[in-house]
Amino acid sequence: MGIDRYSPVFQEGEKLMHIPDGVLPTTVCLGGYITAGAATWFSLRKISRQENPREGMPKASLLTAAFLVVSWIHIPIPPASVHLMLNGLLGAVLGYYAFPAILIGLFFQAIMFQHGGLTTLGVNATVIGVPALLAYYIFRLRNMVGKENRVLTGLFGFLAGGGGLALSAVAAFFILVTTIPAHLNVEAERASIYALTLAHIPVMILEGVFTAVVAVFLQRVKPELLEG
Amino acid sequence: MKLQLDRYAYLETPLHAWDPRYKLVGFMTLIFAFSFVENLQLLPFMVAVSGILYAVSHLPLSFLLARLRLPGFFLLMMGVLLPFLSGSTVLFHLGPLSVKQEGCLDLLLISVKFVCILTMGIILFGTSPFLTNVKAMRALGLPSILADMILFTYRYLYDINDNLRTMQTAMRLRGFQGHKLKNLFTLASLAGTILVRSYEQSDRVYRAMTLRGYGQAGENRGGQDNEFKAYSRDLFGLVLLMVAAAFVAGQVLIH
Repeated sequence: MGIDRYSPVFQEGEKLMHIPDGVLPTTVCLGGYITAGAATWFSLRKISRQENPREGMPKASLLTAAFLVVSWIHIPIPPASVHLMLNGLLGAVLGYYAFPAILIGLFFQAIMFQHGGLTTLGVNATVIGVPALLAYYIFRLRNMVGKENRVLTGLFGFLAGGGGLALSAVAAFFILVTTIPAHLNVEAERASIYALTLAHIPVMILEGVFTAVVAVFLQRVKPELLEG
Repeated sequence: MKLQLDRYAYLETPLHAWDPRYKLVGFMTLIFAFSFVENLQLLPFMVAVSGILYAVSHLPLSFLLARLRLPGFFLLMMGVLLPFLSGSTVLFHLGPLSVKQEGCLDLLLISVKFVCILTMGIILFGTSPFLTNVKAMRALGLPSILADMILFTYRYLYDINDNLRTMQTAMRLRGFQGHKLKNLFTLASLAGTILVRSYEQSDRVYRAMTLRGYGQAGENRGGQDNEFKAYSRDLFGLVLLMVAAAFVAGQVLIH
């Protein structure tokens, strides 16, 4: 049984955040690899300072696979359905492993489903991975106000999930509209960024609610998963 | 377990026999050279190089076409927007909308680059087993933790996907209908259960690995680097692709 038949034809929630090959100029693609390299270095440095860095590797790998699979679940928005990106949830659960996990997830999506691309891997990883790290910091704030409280877990889950997607969406649309080799004028570019961002607000809310519900579920069933 | 992408990795062609390290460097250089192109005159050259390499790889055409279908949706969206929004030279009118020359040329450039780069990626990962490619990346300097994570993710992706299918079947058998928004909470529980199961499985995997010496001093991890042996023909192939890449880059710089 292959995975190809389960892969989404078009992942609505992240449709413009997986920028394909050939769309961006090479300088932007190389810049993306540089920023992704820096973020990976930062994450691996933080991971290597952990008490037993190798202990987290199988956990992060299996959860990377799990997140990839979970992102294929159809979430109904009648009359259609969407797939969520879950970078905020990934940040909340994996902590500093989130960026390598996203890099690997995008690599798999690029080579298995041609979703995203090899030249744009760095840009996509930066656009999705850096907000995941920020979501981790946002979610960690709940430790200061009481991590046993489910309402607060839900609230910070919502902020991490919705915020993670919002940051990714704005970054992706900005890169797409300003660097695509097209003859657009400044006003059209600005209008496009606003329109694309506004069009994604319902998905951001949905992503936030979904992340909040999953975070509360995990706190009830397996709280150590939320320790980052 | 067989990744769909490397189902033709057993074929015997010069590309299949090429040292994966050289192949990785050569193809990635060519891919970035293609991405560098902004001159329409170079597009036929790119198409020719991609076509020749695909023919040499002996991969079936249906294999390529099946993979073009998914990302084609992005192109479709660009195709709908760019000709109307980009540029100022009007070619013709479609009702209230006008089709612009610059937008059509932008779309042509993006589409050809996209298809050529995608073809290169499919040849690169379709002509070697996936594990060999990861070992080649490791040999080229990919951090060990990333290589390990790629292999683990690859190993368990299918298992977890089967888990999800089983749970979804069980939900349907109990009358679950996933097309209502109020089912969001049930779907979130499904996602949470997948995460919890994977977490618990990872704990068992880690313990099994530790019992087999994972993370111990003297663990044999360096053997992979010596697995590949390059011959002069491997170097020749690399030089060939580098020349093609340099030609493309040079043409772009001249223009």
